[in-house]
Amino acid sequence: MPGIGIPPLEANLPPIVKRNYGKWITHEHPRPGVIKHDSETGEACYTVRAGMPPNARVSTPTLRRLCAIADEFSEGYFRLTQRNSFEFVGVDPARIDALIARLAKEGFPVGGTNRSLHNTTCCTGYIHCHLAASDPAAIMKAVSDMLFEAYTTDSLPAKLKISGSGCINNCGEGSCADIGIVAVHRDLPPIHVEKLKGCEVPLVISVCPTGAIKPKGPGMVEIDPKRCIHCPACSVACAAFAPIGSPDGDGVAIVVGGKTANTGYGPAFARVVVPYLPNNPPRWPEVTSTIKKIVDTWAANARQDERVGDWISRIGWEKFFQRTGLPMSLKVVDGYDARSLEYARTNVRFRW
Amino acid sequence: MEKTNVERIKLCCAKCGFTIEEYTATELAEVPRKAKRYKYLLNKSSICPTCLASGRLKEVRTTEEATAAPAPQVEANSSTAAPVQHEAVPDSPTPMMDELAKGPWPSHAKELKQTKYPVPMYEEALQKRTTQWGYGGYVSLPGVAAGVLVRASARPDITKGSNFLRIMDPCGNFFKTDAMRGLCDIADKYAYGLLHLLSTGGDLEMLGIPTENLRPAVAEINKLGFDVGSTGDDYRTSEECVGPAKCDLALYDTLGFRYAWYQRFLDDIQYPRFPHKVKCKFSGCPNDCVRGAQKTDIFVVGVFRDLPRIDQQKVKAWVKGGGDIGLICTRCPGGCMQWDQAKGLSIDGDSCYRCMYCINKVSGIRPGGDRGVAILVGGKMRGKYGPMLAKVLVPFMKAEPPHYKEVFDVIEKLTEVYDANARKKERLGDFLLRIGMNEFFQLMGIEPSPLLLGQPRTNLYYHWEREEVKDERQP
Repeated sequence: MPGIGIPPLEANLPPIVKRNYGKWITHEHPRPGVIKHDSETGEACYTVRAGMPPNARVSTPTLRRLCAIADEFSEGYFRLTQRNSFEFVGVDPARIDALIARLAKEGFPVGGTNRSLHNTTCCTGYIHCHLAASDPAAIMKAVSDMLFEAYTTDSLPAKLKISGSGCINNCGEGSCADIGIVAVHRDLPPIHVEKLKGCEVPLVISVCPTGAIKPKGPGMVEIDPKRCIHCPACSVACAAFAPIGSPDGDGVAIVVGGKTANTGYGPAFARVVVPYLPNNPPRWPEVTSTIKKIVDTWAANARQDERVGDWISRIGWEKFFQRTGLPMSLKVVDGYDARSLEYARTNVRFRW
Repeated sequence: MEKTNVERIKLCCAKCGFTIEEYTATELAEVPRKAKRYKYLLNKSSICPTCLASGRLKEVRTTEEATAAPAPQVEANSSTAAPVQHEAVPDSPTPMMDELAKGPWPSHAKELKQTKYPVPMYEEALQKRTTQWGYGGYVSLPGVAAGVLVRASARPDITKGSNFLRIMDPCGNFFKTDAMRGLCDIADKYAYGLLHLLSTGGDLEMLGIPTENLRPAVAEINKLGFDVGSTGDDYRTSEECVGPAKCDLALYDTLGFRYAWYQRFLDDIQYPRFPHKVKCKFSGCPNDCVRGAQKTDIFVVGVFRDLPRIDQQKVKAWVKGGGDIGLICTRCPGGCMQWDQAKGLSIDGDSCYRCMYCINKVSGIRPGGDRGVAILVGGKMRGKYGPMLAKVLVPFMKAEPPHYKEVFDVIEKLTEVYDANARKKERLGDFLLRIGMNEFFQLMGIEPSPLLLGQPRTNLYYHWEREEVKDERQP
């Protein structure tokens, strides 16, 4: 019976965390995938971070195996991070090698800390979503395989986050990441007249960002093909407009330079640099090669601690396109933007 | 004994008559939250969890004796009934998924194959380059108003459809292995045996639960001490950074804050009634590990007002140990740091952004001591007008444990303003765009401050009210 809420604060906290809650004074990265936190009590907490399958989809047998490892190495506790990594908290430093070896045996890489590729995140895509214009889980698998070494070593100029969303609803946070993929539709939504009856037609008309949906006689609507921006807003609001998309219409856009920390140039969304690449399962070679190009160029040219967006803000977009060799097109220029909240503050970099 | 009659108001599916929610007339008259929820449900089109028809709900009023049994809620002793299982899907070749099982990175395709997930749905989607799932949405069950999602199948020949539950994650996303094994048992018993750890919204999702199993599954999840929620137009699952539990930079107790949040707002988390979803995230410092500035309608972030504290001895030791202090001075976005071999490190207070860069990198620099939280509002990834960053509503206020009353009062007021003024399915960010920040500050009763601004307006148009126009020469 709902009404319980979340478990009590301390119910799932590891003992070492309970002993040192709020007492941490510093942290360091002794080796890739390992973080050491020092407490004012003199205790040190070693955390080992492991990568997870794309979309953090785990079967119960796999999860039980991970739980058994946590029982053995971190007192029966673990933590899931914001980017879906699996963290063993409070590992005995003498047993870190054994833990990494054990994880490697089970097929889980250790890394994703400090100046490395962090665990990729993505939405569910073809696995379980009716709006998916692509399968970011498969793309992230291909990207993670390709950049495996960048995950397990601290070899990049700064941290690198890669995320993927299966449509512009952006559940997979493509626009938040240093390099993101956001799948796009290019088709008009259908109108299944028989299903319109179950819909709130005025709501569907009002959710359309460009006013492309108009009433056309009683109980009927029409879509202005010139105004449609292929966002799935109507498909979400009403079953009559779903599914949107087709094998050749759907594809992937690539965005770069998103970040949320207030360091560098502050929080920003990623910007579109490749408007469309085709869906090419199972490994999306066009997408992975474009990402490789961007990562390699950034890694070769950025200064220390310069994330992708910081690097671009220093060298400018003209140099970005020049160095990466990505083709420039009118389609990366904004043709649809109704935003005018430019006067509001979007960061907390206050000068008190 | 005198018999008293109770008027019951049921909201049912217009097609199959399934009761979605039920109230007594007294409840509707006396409990404002229930009345709001009732009105909200009446005015929207809902999906029926049993017949999947979507449309307006039908209101059914009945009068029963007061002694009648209460409305059916989630069965507590449901574990006695055998759970319904999905029909087994016959094995078929999966060339695409086999390809995705290769390579050094853990594979989701391998994971899917270890569960009862209908593998052809994914394999054929990859082969046909288009998703095989059909329309879906959020549904309510009697007693479970939020947390259940249904997904129809576009391929009824493979599977009829699949529901899933959103389970609210524990504090700091720490898990005891026993608790996780309990969730695994429930997933094995009632669902595909496939978990999503975690969704980008912070929920733990349990996939593939036949409709008949939903309520028993929720009952067992509750027995384990977890709860479901975070669908529909309510406060979505809030997410906090790891905060004081395992981070030396946390400027307030994010875990305690979120726990207090659930104590105070649980009703609004589990009973949708707002114009649209309201996402909330809590970050301990401006590093914003939960991506709150980009994703959330309400973002509470730890800030400090004085300057970073420098322990010169430690900084010198850090430099001696190979730390590149020149890099820190150049990469400081405010350009406010100076390093002198003899005097040590100094900070120009006028140009410091409090951005955390030096604090992140140098072990001898710590955040200042004048700590509190800032509240930012209206961030989102899509909504009607696309991605927007959150905007500062309150630049600084003290966060007082254990109840955080002042902060929560501001947030409650904010939600009331949003609830009363926004249109249906208008995210907070889109609402701000429509009414403008100046009107929003007025509605909120917020005093103007340069800390709220990116910059003052360049636009010279302005509407003065009649009452404001007077002879300024007169004292």
